[in-house]
Order: sequence, then C-alpha cells, then structure tokens
Amino acid sequence: MHELFNNLVSNWHLNPVLMSVVTLLWILMIAALVLAFMATFAGVTSWIERRIAGRMMSRVGPNRVGPGGSLQWIADGLKCFLKEDVIPGAVDKPLFRFAPYLVFTGCFAAFAALPFGYGLVASNIDIGIFYISAITTFVVLGVLMAGWSSNNKWSLLGGIRSAAQIISYEIPTGLSILTIVVLAGTLNMQEIIQQQGGWPWHWFIFNNPFSFVAFFIFFSSILAEGNRTPFDLPEAESELVAGYLTEYSGMRFVFFFFAEWANLWVMSAIITTLFLGGWQIPGINDLGALISQSAGAGKYLWILASIAVFFTKTLFFVFVVIWVRWTLPRLRVDQLMVMCWKYFVPIGFICLLGSALFTILPQSSAWNWFYLSMRLVLTALGFGIAIALIWRSIYNIRALDDKIYIKVWE
Amino acid sequence: MTKLMIETLGTESTVVNMGPQHPSTHGVISLRLQLKGEVIEAIDPNVGYLHRSIEKISELTQYTGFIPYTDRVDYLSAMFGNQAWCMAVEKLLGIQVPRRAEYLRVIACELNRIINHLIACGTMAMDLGAFTPFLHGIREREKVNDIMEKICGARLNYNYMRFGGVSRDFIRGLDKEILAFVDRFKKFLPEFNRLITGNEIFEKRLIHIGVISPELAIAYGLGGPNLRASGIDFDLRRDFPYSVYPEFKFRVVTGEGYRGEVGDSFARYMVRIEEMEESAKIIRQAIEGLPEGDYQTKLLRNPVVPAGEVYSHVESTRGEMGFYVVSNGTDTAYRTKIRTGSFTAMSILPKIVPGLMVADLVALFGSLDVVAPEVDR
Amino acid sequence: MVLALKNYFLNIKKAFISIFEGMAVTLSYMARKPITIQYPDRIPKPVPEMLPPSYRGVLEVDIKICTGCLACMKRCPINIINIQTFRDVESKKNYMTCFDIDIAKCMFCGLCTEVCPTGSIRHSTEFEASSASIINMVLHYISYGDKVPVYKPVKDQEAQSIPQNEAFRQVHVSWNTPPPLAADVVRGSVRWKPDKPEEEK
Repeated sequence: MHELFNNLVSNWHLNPVLMSVVTLLWILMIAALVLAFMATFAGVTSWIERRIAGRMMSRVGPNRVGPGGSLQWIADGLKCFLKEDVIPGAVDKPLFRFAPYLVFTGCFAAFAALPFGYGLVASNIDIGIFYISAITTFVVLGVLMAGWSSNNKWSLLGGIRSAAQIISYEIPTGLSILTIVVLAGTLNMQEIIQQQGGWPWHWFIFNNPFSFVAFFIFFSSILAEGNRTPFDLPEAESELVAGYLTEYSGMRFVFFFFAEWANLWVMSAIITTLFLGGWQIPGINDLGALISQSAGAGKYLWILASIAVFFTKTLFFVFVVIWVRWTLPRLRVDQLMVMCWKYFVPIGFICLLGSALFTILPQSSAWNWFYLSMRLVLTALGFGIAIALIWRSIYNIRALDDKIYIKVWE
Repeated sequence: MTKLMIETLGTESTVVNMGPQHPSTHGVISLRLQLKGEVIEAIDPNVGYLHRSIEKISELTQYTGFIPYTDRVDYLSAMFGNQAWCMAVEKLLGIQVPRRAEYLRVIACELNRIINHLIACGTMAMDLGAFTPFLHGIREREKVNDIMEKICGARLNYNYMRFGGVSRDFIRGLDKEILAFVDRFKKFLPEFNRLITGNEIFEKRLIHIGVISPELAIAYGLGGPNLRASGIDFDLRRDFPYSVYPEFKFRVVTGEGYRGEVGDSFARYMVRIEEMEESAKIIRQAIEGLPEGDYQTKLLRNPVVPAGEVYSHVESTRGEMGFYVVSNGTDTAYRTKIRTGSFTAMSILPKIVPGLMVADLVALFGSLDVVAPEVDR
Repeated sequence: MVLALKNYFLNIKKAFISIFEGMAVTLSYMARKPITIQYPDRIPKPVPEMLPPSYRGVLEVDIKICTGCLACMKRCPINIINIQTFRDVESKKNYMTCFDIDIAKCMFCGLCTEVCPTGSIRHSTEFEASSASIINMVLHYISYGDKVPVYKPVKDQEAQSIPQNEAFRQVHVSWNTPPPLAADVVRGSVRWKPDKPEEEK
C-alpha cells in the first residue's frame, strides 16, 4: 500500500503540512477499508458458522432472512444495536465500558499486517508476524477487565481462566512461528510468502518433518489464543453461563463476538501465510516477475488470482476451525495447562531446533533430491490425512444406510 | 514476600450460587458452592424450586385420574411412573394383567429407557462442550417419539397404562416399525461412540471424577446405573422380578472400570450406553414373542379400591421409582409417597463433591443423571 | 521412566485417532439430508394431515351423537368439561344446553375420550389452537341459547360421526378474535360460577 500511495502523490509536489494531511487521510481510508472487510467477514462468518453447525447436527441453520439466511447477521447486528444499553449498577463503570474496545482493538490491529494478495497488505512492516503476535495479546487485558469489572464471581473466574490460557499459549505459538521464521529468514509476512512456492511441496508445512509437527502445534495453540473449543473454557456456555461476557448485552456484547469471529480470519490468514504458501499460485514460480512483465489488464488479473488463492486457503481453515469447534468437548483448565506446558512447549522446542538444523544442511544436487523426495512424502502424508478423513466420512454414511446429500443451500 | 506479609494477606473462600437458572443443572436446582479458587470446598444443594405437590394432588384426584400426573413426576421416563402407579393399584385391587398387556408395557418401558439414556448421555456431552452428540441423540429420540405417537397418541406425557393393562392396542404395522427402529439404532450406537465416547478429551474429563465406592452407594440408597457403575450387581428387573421381565434374556450391566475406575463418572456413562443396547435386545425379544390377547382387563370406570397399603417399585432409568400408596376404601387415595432415584443421587453430592473443580462438578452432575422434576415432585 | 515416556506418546496417538474419528463423523453429517421439518411454510402437506389419527390433539365433540351421559365430565381429573342438561317435562326429552371444554387447562390425557359410549368426544389432530384472549380458549360446542337433543344410541348400529377435525374447525375462532361480552361469559364459561342457580332450566 505504501508504494501505491507514493506512486499516486509523487506527482503532486505538495508542501509538507498538506502532505501529512493527505497521508493521514490515506491511512484512515485504508483503515476504514480493512474495518469494513473485518466487520463484513465477522458477520458473514457468524452466519456460515451457524449453517455449518446446523448441518453437522442434522438440522438446517438460519435460512429465512435473505437468500438462504445470508442477511441474518445484519438482523442480529441491528437488533443488538437497538437494544437498551444495560450497565449493572454495581460494576466498575470505566473498566466495564472500556473492556470491549480493548478486545476489539487487539483483534483489529492485527489486520494491519495481514496480506490479502500480491502486494496487498495494509502495512508492509518488516516485523510483520512479531507485531501480530504481540498485538493480539491486547485481548488478555480486555478479557481481564471485563471479568473483573463485572462484579460477578462467575465472570471473574472466566476472566482469570482466559488470561492464564492466552498467556500460556503464547509460548507454543511463538515457538511454531519461530520454526517458520528460521526457514524463511525474515519476519515480514509478504517475504515469508515469497520464500515459498506454488506447489504444495514448496510450502513450509511440507518443508521438513519438524515444520509439519509445528503446524499442528501452531493450529492448536492459535485455537487456544482465540478462545475456541476445545479451549473455550473462559466462555464455557454450560458452566459459567457466558464467562466473562455474562453481564454484557447489546452492542458491547456484539463487540466481543465480532472480535472472536474476526479472530477466525486472523488465525486462518496467519496459518495460510506461514504454512501454506499464502497467495502463491500453483505452477507459477515468480509471481512478481510475471506481474511486472504483463500489460494493464493482465496485471490485475494475476493480482486477482493471487487474492482468490489466498482467500480459498484461508476460508478452508476457517471451515476447519468451525468443524473442530462443533466436534470436540472442551478441556478443563488444568488439563489445558498440562497440555501447553508438558506437551506443546517441549515438542515446540524440538521442532524449532530441528528446523534450524535443516537450514544448515548442505545444498548439493544429491541432497536436493533427498529434500525433494522428503517433501513429496510429507505432501502425500498431509493430503493422505485429508483423503482418509473423507473416506471415513463416506464409510460413516454407508454404515447407517444413509444417502449422500450434497445440497448445502437448503 | 516476607512471612509477615503472607500472614496478614489471608485468603478466603468465595461462596458462589450455581443458582436455579443454570444451563447445566438439568432443571431448576440450586447449588451453593464454597470455592477456593477453582476447587470446591463445600456444596449445599437447595431443592424445591420445581415442587408441584403431586403427592397432595393424589389425595384429591381419583385413582384413574391420577395416572396423567404420574407421567409428570419424571417426564423424561414417563412410562415408569405410569407402571409403578398402576402396579400399586392393581395389587390393592387384586387384578391380573393379561400377558399381551404386560408385553406392551415392557416394550413401551424399554423404548422409554433408550430415549432417556440418549438424553442423559447427550446432555453429559453438551455440558462438557460437545454440542453435536446431543442433537444426534435428539434425532434418534424423535423417531421414537413418532413411534410413541402411534402407540398412545402423545410424544412426552404418555398416559399409556391403565389398571389392568394399557389404554390402546398396537395399530397394524407398528411392531415392524419398532423393529426397524431397533435395527437402525444398533447401527447408530457405534457411530455415537466414535463421535464422543471414544474421544480422548471426553475421557480425560470424566475418569477418576466423583468416585462412589460400593459401600457409599448402598448407604445412600442409589439405584439404577449410578449403583451398577460402582460395581454392585443389582437390578430390580432381575432381583425383584415384576411384570414379564423373567421371560427375557438380558445382561445386567455393571461398571468395570472401563478406562478409569469402577464407580467414576465415565463408568456411569458407559453403563448407560450399554444399557441402551440391552434395552434394544429386550424390545426385539418382546416384539418377536408378542402374544395375542386382551390389552386391558375390563374394570369399573371409577374403581373403588379396598383399604390397605402397598409399595410397588420399578427399575426406572435413574434408579428405583417406588410408589407407596395408602388407600382407605374410597375412589381417592389417602396418601401417596413417591420415591425417586434422582433424590438420592442429589443427596450424595455433599459427600463426593468437595475436592473437585467447578468444571468437574458439571461433569459429575451430568453423570448422576439428576433431573429436577424427580427431585422435587 | 520408560513407562512414562511410553504413556506420553500413547496419549498423543490416542488423541490423534479419536479426534480423527470424531471429525470424520461430523464431516459425514455435512453430506446427509437434514431432518428438519420446516414448519409452517416449507412442508409437503398441512401438519394435521401428517399426524396419525390417534394423535391426542385438541378435544372435539360431535354434538349430534352425544348421549348426555356426563361420563367425560366425571372422568376429567381437572374438571374442564362443563355439560348442562335438562329434561323437558312435557315432551319427556333430554336436552343439553351447554357443552364447554376449556382447552387452556386441558392436559390432553385422553381419559374422557375413553369412556364415551358413542365416540362423540374425541381428539382431533389439531394443535394450533392458541388465542390472544384466554376467554376464547373455552370452546363452546353448543352455542349460547341453543338446545340440542341427546342422541339415543340404536342397538347394534355404530353412531355416524362427522370426520375428524371437522367439529373442531366449526367451533374454533381465529386467534385474534376479540373476547365475548360479559353477558356471554356469565352463561358459558366454566370459570365463573353463578351465585344463584339459573332460572332458565
């Protein structure tokens, strides 16, 4: 975005004061764009999640408001917007009011460094992934404030649990990110993508066995960061009514939930950039060179293709996160901690060391054949798991003598 | 921190209300917990929020008119309430139930046992965060609800049994429908087990939680799956035989420490799952051996019951459901006392809960299968 | 030590396999037909036709074949049926002037339908009987001011009755009908007992 801006205003020759005003307007416009995307995505995801959850439970989700129910989230948002703003009498009012904004900010600020396609990132900072990892920790502050200020013992329990959970799971997340950073050599998100290739065996997930294991660790840890099942103890619906959200209603409640659904995108986008090769189109080795060589419309077509690839991969992971939520029960707090400190952290360290080892191995042609075959085997393993899942699902359908019914638009 | 600071800081336990409105106390039951952090130190159950004075109503309604009320003592397993009341009054009247009617009663009761255990296991999974198995159980329950609609006309409060038999005979083709359901259910259970019973997280949440030793179970008067999961081999259908249960071959499922210990929450859960299989076997045997005959002995519309007192009990889904009826020679009972399995299960809570965490309490409460209407009648 | 390490890896393997199986089951349900019946607009035929005829819906009375025996009134555990009969001394005939059922209180137990000698009181398969006014929840199967002669059952002949649900539909008013005037309530509802016996008998 920075180069685009520079290209636009380089011909204007404005004086510095006006330049800073124009820069500010540009930043605000980009932020508004990203905010619009985030809000729309959060809303649409709420509908998609309810539909997918419904189909997994043999029922239909919301399908009345708008075609197939796709405007349900607008109806819900409007309803919450128009509700009375109830603040219980005994809460700590400044903290109570401020907490949703912190959670929302922590999530929204991460969008600043997320890539969307070739050359499409709101702010191409060199510490990209480090910044994202740091800014999403803001959520802890917001959750603790919400739990404490609600003046409700159940909310306090939820808030404290959540703080412990998010802070503990920062470590496996960081270790897995470092595993990839060691392979890529940079923290910049777009650079990490450019280090990977289009075909699956060029992705970092299939690079070496250690990064394959790091993928699973990262996936579980980022679920814990986002308070999703099986780690959703802070908002455990059946135990604490709604955990730290109990006393919130109306628009403040919507803020929390928007942050959670928008976090789905952040999670999936990070996984796609780090592990799955981001917007790299299969078959094209150097997208940058291709774009600079092609003429007017072709350039935009290639950029659109990269956006489409990125969105497909990210939406697939959004589906997987939703799928995991509606399958697994939740872990108890101490089991959560055991899993983090006794399982994820040691394995994360081993993955980091192993990955670092792979970067210093020799690069001769024989070794390259070895690396390629190793990556092909890992690709087969990864896709084999996916195909085995589909096979097993078909077996499940046949075992009950049901028919396969693909019409998802009920 | 210096030693002086630790002495002056001091920590207290908080008292929290897992109040009448809570998503995972099944019904309106209030539990007051004394927590130290996440660990529960003491628990005080508070019952009575769903008291509907059913026992008093029995003193104002005629015997036949009270049958719908016995449905509502435990509306998830309504047939057992019907059967216990009808057995009590039949003993006082001294009438025999025809064989076909007994078979119909057994089929209805065992179907009810299956659907009740589906809800019990499903809500246990739901309390632990897995929402999908509950809805799969409800889906199977809906099929049985359709069958019940054809058997007696209603889906929840059946009012099926009368003194001397049942109210309606099976319509044509209903036994084939029930057999088809049983066949499909046999295939459904392994899938349900794959989804949730075999899940590592589910297992880790339930093993070694709330272990009830056999002596404690007997001392507190538990019954049903709660008792059998502690290793005690006791089933009213086999040890105090009533109706035509002696004619069926079924296994009494006891807990064996499947993956944890004998008497923990996972054992109670597994006993329920296996009991469903056994009930399916009983239904199949009953349908295949269904005799011809009357479905009801003819009685006066308003029977005058001779004076006396009787206690009749059935193996309900949650324990032993017993009706103690005192009659004084009129057409209305003098006193009825209903003994339910959930009440005893609630009473054991202050003994086994201290030391658990709040999340474990939810799992334990679900595994004891306590429903509020039975506790408060 | 070795046992602990073995348990460690066994835990990981068990977790993987059970999560894999669980996710396969949930994925398989994405590809099966949902069982929801989308009531009330996307159903193949109206629900009263989908229900079996033995369904215990709202009570209805085919007043032409009612013998006035009052068995149902006596059998009901909650006394929601109100029947008033009188004997015309000159013509020596029995008439009924009131047959009210309060379906707001009815628990649909079916005890009344079992004792009827002709099958006049029976369950319909209707259940959509809600109303905005609770006074309209009392169904008057004999209109105010009418008198209906009781039915004399003919030996060895089944009583001819109108089809199921018809009697209910004749009596049922739509949900937003305003409640009747007080004068009608005084005469017709089971909720209000008159202080002195009615002269008109």
